Amino acid sequence: MYEKEKDLIGAFLRGEVDRRGLLKGLGAAGLTAGTAGTLFNMMSTQALAADFDWKAHSGKSLKLLLNKHPYADAMIANLQAFKDLTGIEVTYDVFPEDVYFDKVTAALSSGSSEYDAFMTGAYMTWTYGPAGWITDLNEWIKDPSKTNPQYGWDDFLPGVKASCAWNGQPGGALGSEDAKQWCIPWGYEQNNLSYNQEMFEKAGASVPKNLDELVATAAKLNKDVGGGVYGIGVRGSRSWATIHPGFLSGYANFGQKDLNVSEDGKLSAAMNTAESKSFHAKWVQMIQESGPKDWSTYTWYQVGTDLGAGASAMIYDADILGYFMNGGDNKMAGKLAYAPFAANPEAKAPTPNIWIWSLAMSNFAKDKDATWYFLQWASGLEHAIFGATKMDFVNPVRASVWKDEIFRERLNKSYPGYVEMHDVSAPGAKIHFTAQPLFFDLTTEWAATLQKMVAKEVPVDEGLDRLAESINRQLAEAGLG
Amino acid sequence: MASVTHSSARRSRFRISKRVLPYVLSLPALLVCIGILIPFFTAVIYSFQRYRLSQPWARQFNWGDNYLNFFTDPGFWNTLKISLLYAGVTVTLELLLGLGIALLLQRRSTVNNFISIMLLLPLMTAPALAALMWKLMTNPGFGILSYLASLIGLENFRWASSPDTALLTVVLVDIWVYTPFIMILLLAGLRSLPTQPFEAAALDGVPRSFVFFRITLPMLTPYILTATLFRLLDSIQQFDIIYAMTQGGPGDTLTVFQVEAYLNFFQSTNVGRSAALLIILWAITYILSNIFIKNWLRLRERARGEA
Amino acid sequence: METTSPVERLLRGVALTLVVVFFMFPIVWIFLMSFQTNETILRIPPSVVFSPTLENYAALITGKLQTASGTLDIAFMRNLGNSVLLSVASVAVALLLGVPAAYAFARHKFKGSEDIAFTLLSFRFAPPLLVLLPLTQYFQWLGLSNTYFGLIWIYQLICLPLILWIVRGYFEDISADVEYAYRIAGHSWFSTFRKIALPLAGPGIAAAGLLAFIFAWNNFVFALVLASADKQPVTVGALAFVTASGIQYGQIAAAIVLSITPTLALALYAQRYLVEGLSLGAVKG
Repeated sequence: MYEKEKDLIGAFLRGEVDRRGLLKGLGAAGLTAGTAGTLFNMMSTQALAADFDWKAHSGKSLKLLLNKHPYADAMIANLQAFKDLTGIEVTYDVFPEDVYFDKVTAALSSGSSEYDAFMTGAYMTWTYGPAGWITDLNEWIKDPSKTNPQYGWDDFLPGVKASCAWNGQPGGALGSEDAKQWCIPWGYEQNNLSYNQEMFEKAGASVPKNLDELVATAAKLNKDVGGGVYGIGVRGSRSWATIHPGFLSGYANFGQKDLNVSEDGKLSAAMNTAESKSFHAKWVQMIQESGPKDWSTYTWYQVGTDLGAGASAMIYDADILGYFMNGGDNKMAGKLAYAPFAANPEAKAPTPNIWIWSLAMSNFAKDKDATWYFLQWASGLEHAIFGATKMDFVNPVRASVWKDEIFRERLNKSYPGYVEMHDVSAPGAKIHFTAQPLFFDLTTEWAATLQKMVAKEVPVDEGLDRLAESINRQLAEAGLG
Repeated sequence: MASVTHSSARRSRFRISKRVLPYVLSLPALLVCIGILIPFFTAVIYSFQRYRLSQPWARQFNWGDNYLNFFTDPGFWNTLKISLLYAGVTVTLELLLGLGIALLLQRRSTVNNFISIMLLLPLMTAPALAALMWKLMTNPGFGILSYLASLIGLENFRWASSPDTALLTVVLVDIWVYTPFIMILLLAGLRSLPTQPFEAAALDGVPRSFVFFRITLPMLTPYILTATLFRLLDSIQQFDIIYAMTQGGPGDTLTVFQVEAYLNFFQSTNVGRSAALLIILWAITYILSNIFIKNWLRLRERARGEA
Repeated sequence: METTSPVERLLRGVALTLVVVFFMFPIVWIFLMSFQTNETILRIPPSVVFSPTLENYAALITGKLQTASGTLDIAFMRNLGNSVLLSVASVAVALLLGVPAAYAFARHKFKGSEDIAFTLLSFRFAPPLLVLLPLTQYFQWLGLSNTYFGLIWIYQLICLPLILWIVRGYFEDISADVEYAYRIAGHSWFSTFRKIALPLAGPGIAAAGLLAFIFAWNNFVFALVLASADKQPVTVGALAFVTASGIQYGQIAAAIVLSITPTLALALYAQRYLVEGLSLGAVKG
């Protein structure tokens, strides 16, 4: 039964036929998508199993801690494949994003062995790693007896992979030689422009190419679109989350840094340079002129909701936020487009700061080898392809998924400019923060300072000088400055 | 003879049990709660340590340093000021409003009873969710309240997002959620007041304001104290509403104790500072409630004496 | 009240209307939102014109949420069940422990009575965050983390002091003479407590229980930190609709309506007790 089809799938898995040829062939054979999917999964399982003992931990069980997120949804939809492949039982706890990291901190700080692996962001590993809550995964990645030869660690986008590796030294460069791999990148977000094509046409605006144009275009949209629509959505709440998306991406494009690291490893504030001050001034002006009226309460959700419901004309935020808003029951679904953005007119390419949803292994895991089986499956190519083509497991962190024709076509069809935006900005995409234990103190205070500037409670120059002073004091107190 | 023995035996058994009984009755409750004291003391110990989860190697006792640092930290004084201001404003307004509503509903009737239950609805809405809904209702685009405000000329009213009105907005939400709590306690109090003094005053033609300030209010004071105490303890520890609406911003406008302590613990994982902040908060509530309880007991003693 | 002038009646009516509008408007608005999807909720300017849908309730009750990328399972009804279990059990335990203690404080001035009573109150004002930090570890050691038992125990922080202090006031108001007479007639202490004191304090106990129930119902930080996903209460369940791909306001509104309903039913049922019962500290002579 289905012998011919199986041959075809086998040929694909051996790399002899591309995906387009495969699906065309299967369609010609009269297979429904459902049957083709089943066959494909079955054969992939066999292919994965070819040179590696996936059953080594059969009969064991794992528990995961997950954030309520499309990435987790995609994994859960495909989880049966992992159970079939390995014979490992997997249960999971899903918590709302609003309270997710509180739950992680509570579970890990109490040394709970309940969860074996969990979702995290790279910034959080700067706490979890030194605290001794998570494991350096190099031990497994580099061990051929524990990792499938087909795993393809080199397939991960270099900037993304490096951003999840840190040597634990305050100020230590991400991805350095001695870095520990605290987590495996899973899906990631670049910060670029997502905009409403209809509104741009209506206002006769073109896609801005640098910060000055961005400020001017936002003001033009604010004035000309009408209907209460404002020009540009960016986050503004009193949180690290305000600093890391568009703001830091643009900031880094001017070669500006959050902290300086001296020869002897001491840290000092670097945000009160003349160039930084001029960047801040323009950013603040942009929000005052054409940002949301209640900007200082804006988080991911409000920025996204406004774009999706047609209250804002564009956002300088996570690309996948724009991606989500172009689907579902959003009013503006199908009207959004995407563009890379380099704030500095002299920069050759964008340098987006990135957020990486990653998978980490708890140091209190009951069986780390079995946990690693899950991690390598969940971050493997098979699941990445499944998630990227059938679910919203976007952006993929593997280069070969970005080369996948079906995936590119799917994006090009419904998300104009998305693939190109990714290709242009991927080389410069990485975490542009300095890895150090005071990350959250520093960024929260930075956000509060921005709020004061936008509310005209403090002039930009003075605000930054005061911020730098306060950061230096805190660094010294923590023995880092 | 036999009957005398019998009754004295009864009395002595009565006496013993009367001495032991109250302890027997109250100790289970105490024992159940005593478990809380252990983590409480652990937290006290944390507050005397330099303790960041992200720098475990640097963990050591620094004794009073966490506390001493507060003296020179403008952020701390701001926190103290805002917390007290927030608690003072919300409790005062809720007390006045709650008393007013209780007076409006004082007369026993089906309608009044029904209204008083319906007014409890905000209290039944979890504050974290209530704040989420208020945030939507005050959104400048989609928000019904912003829309209504614009109809009466407040086109640029920025609710929680402006430093000038952020406190006002969270206070408004707090009032919405918690006034019913005070209202229901005071309503119950009003309805249980004895009728004779009021009848007598009415017969003598005493002015209503005099009756209110000289009879109603003094008799109501024990209820007011209890309601205020519970509300004050909750209000000075407010977190859900403030965090969900503003995360402590804009700037440092609303960085009350719990918001600071939460950020210090869950984000910065600076356990030492977080614990020290919470201990200070605990000390403040301890002192406040001590004052209240003393007055409450004194009032009750006096009331019993008069009765 | 017979002396009220028409002007005063009018003013009272206006005041009461304003009060009802202020407190009920957001509730009504949430209720209306629960019959809408994001498409009509997120309109500029907002409007009351919409064609109602039962989609949100259907999704919550069946546990199947239709999204652009397929069907998702949601555990809202389980969250609701957890809330019922945790609140009912916690209030029951708190009543069992708190009412006798309240009686003891009211009837017997014994050595240390005020100190014990104050200590019990002090649990109410320990910031939850303060005890939560170390508590997660102790629960781990005791094997209490992720158990309903552990949660119900820790919920006593919310329920017990409230019940104790309200019921105490109530017992103090009831004249001790009746009980004394009953005792003299040869009845045991326990039967006096059960037959005389408890029924007289009934309304107070019911009211205190209801208030404690509301506060237990609204708490979610204890369960969040101390238990896994299958024991989370309704608030955490509702927050699940705040997702990376958007806030599902309609479902949150429906979740609020569903989560208020049991408490409201309880309050309406115990209406009389609620108002009469909270008359703590009354001087009835």
